[in-house]
This record gives sequence, structure tokens and C-alpha cells, in this order.
Amino acid sequence: MPQKRTRPNREDADFELIRAINGGRPELFGELVRRYEGRLYNFGLKMCGDVQDAEDMVQDTFLNVFRYLKGFRYETRFRNWLYRIAASACIKKRRKSKFAPRREISLEDLHPVEGDTPPAELPSWASEPLDEVLNQELSRTLREAILAMPENYRVVLLLRDIEGFSTAETARILGLTPANIKTRLHRARLYLRQQLQRYFDHDTQT
Amino acid sequence: MTPRPEPGSAECLALFERLSEFIDGELDEDTCRRIRAHIADCAPCEVCVETLRRTVKLCRHLHSDPVPAELHTRLQDLVKKYVDTADG
Repeated sequence: MPQKRTRPNREDADFELIRAINGGRPELFGELVRRYEGRLYNFGLKMCGDVQDAEDMVQDTFLNVFRYLKGFRYETRFRNWLYRIAASACIKKRRKSKFAPRREISLEDLHPVEGDTPPAELPSWASEPLDEVLNQELSRTLREAILAMPENYRVVLLLRDIEGFSTAETARILGLTPANIKTRLHRARLYLRQQLQRYFDHDTQT
Repeated sequence: MTPRPEPGSAECLALFERLSEFIDGELDEDTCRRIRAHIADCAPCEVCVETLRRTVKLCRHLHSDPVPAELHTRLQDLVKKYVDTADG
């Protein structure tokens, strides 16, 4: 009789640490904070666009981790659980702000314009080595373009393309369907690409 | 011989809508093969794929900012509070 296959090991690198914290070594909470403070701060900065808001978000997130860590059920990676808290904190913060209208990115607006001949040659920004293209000014342009995007697209782009979560993980973090994540991600990327094209077109004209 | 696709054709637009899934390797092999064949014959679509791929790469390589010292201190205070609460 064939052996029943065992479930893949879902243990992640943080489980051991969390078990130790919950098992009576609270001083290790500091290690958990050290592991994630940098990533969370940068996520918050790109999400909120403001140092103070990003700092508050990181603190609120760890405060919630601190409150609910005992109830962590080891059914998902700790990182996914953490980002669910962080994403929700960012969205709450942005909703309080006056300049956060919810809007949609229409795919039609991102189609190559009718009547325009689409470029048939690869522009230099897409063909030259990455480290020669990604200078400080481009980094700033990219960050500004990410911030200018509606937050429901921005959060998906950040989780997928910057934090490296899969479609399924991002869907679980945000409580959306994978199809919804794919749609938002595609529009967010096309929007960014359009901004990059405009930046480089302007650059070559001046 | 299959005619070359007209840039901006229905085939190009259909591809345009699935580009992200294509570069993320989330499509089945048959669809990928069709897209690769289309791109091989359609320079504007190839540019579209490559510029989108580069956009994603640029995002992945964006530099990170260091954690401000003030935030680090605030978090250390939080850790201390956590330890005190747990000990108490």
C-alpha cells in the first residue's frame, strides 16, 4: 500500500522565535522587532509617503503584534500575519487623511493610444544594465509614481513587487480574491510603466 | 504561413491584458507558447513585455531607507514594556 504523503513542512523561520516568546522568553520580542522594523518602515514609507505616518504605522503594528502574539496559530507564515496588520494600519491611516480619494485605474487609459504607432524598439531604460538605469533621480521618480497611485493599487504593487509575496499570499493578506489581486497588480504596473515612459521621453527631449 | 499581426490588433490587446500573468509565470504552457509566438512576430508587443518586465525589476531593486533612530528608540521602549508586562 502506498505511503500517505505527509503535508509539506509549513514551519517558517519565525515560528521557533515566536514559540520561545510565547513560551516564557518575552525578551526575545526584541529580536522579532529587529527582524522586521526595517522592512515594515520602508513598506510604510512607500505606502503613506510620510515619515511620521510610517513611524506611527510601524509602532501600531508592533503594538498589535504585542497584543495578539499569544493567539498566533502557526497556520500561516508570521510575515503574512504581520503584513496583514501593517497593511490594515496603513489603509486606516490614509483614510483619515484628506488627500486619499479612492479611485480606479482604467485599463483603457493604459492601452497604447489609438492612432499612435507603438514603439518597435526597446528604449534604453529597458535595455541597459539595471544598476546604470536606477540612479537616485529615477528612484525618487519611481517612489513618487507609486505614491500617486490609488492606495488599493499601491498596496498590491508593494506587497507583490517590493515585498515579494505571491498572488495567493497577497490575496489572503488583503482579504481579496487572487483574480482581483492580478487585475490590480497589472494596472498598477502598467500605470508605473507609463510614468517611467513619460519620465524618459521628457528626458530625451530636453 | 501565418500573417504577421497588425500592431494594435485584437490579438495584441488580448496579450496586453495578460502581460503581468505572463511575466509572473502564472499562465498555462499553451497560452505562454501562443504569447511567445506572437511576440516573436510583433515588435511593439515585445517592447511592451520588456518594458513591463523592466518596470517590475526596477521596483524590486528600489533602495531601502534606514530606520530613523527615533523610531528605533520607540520600538525598544515598546519591547521593554512587553517584557515588563509579561514578567509582571
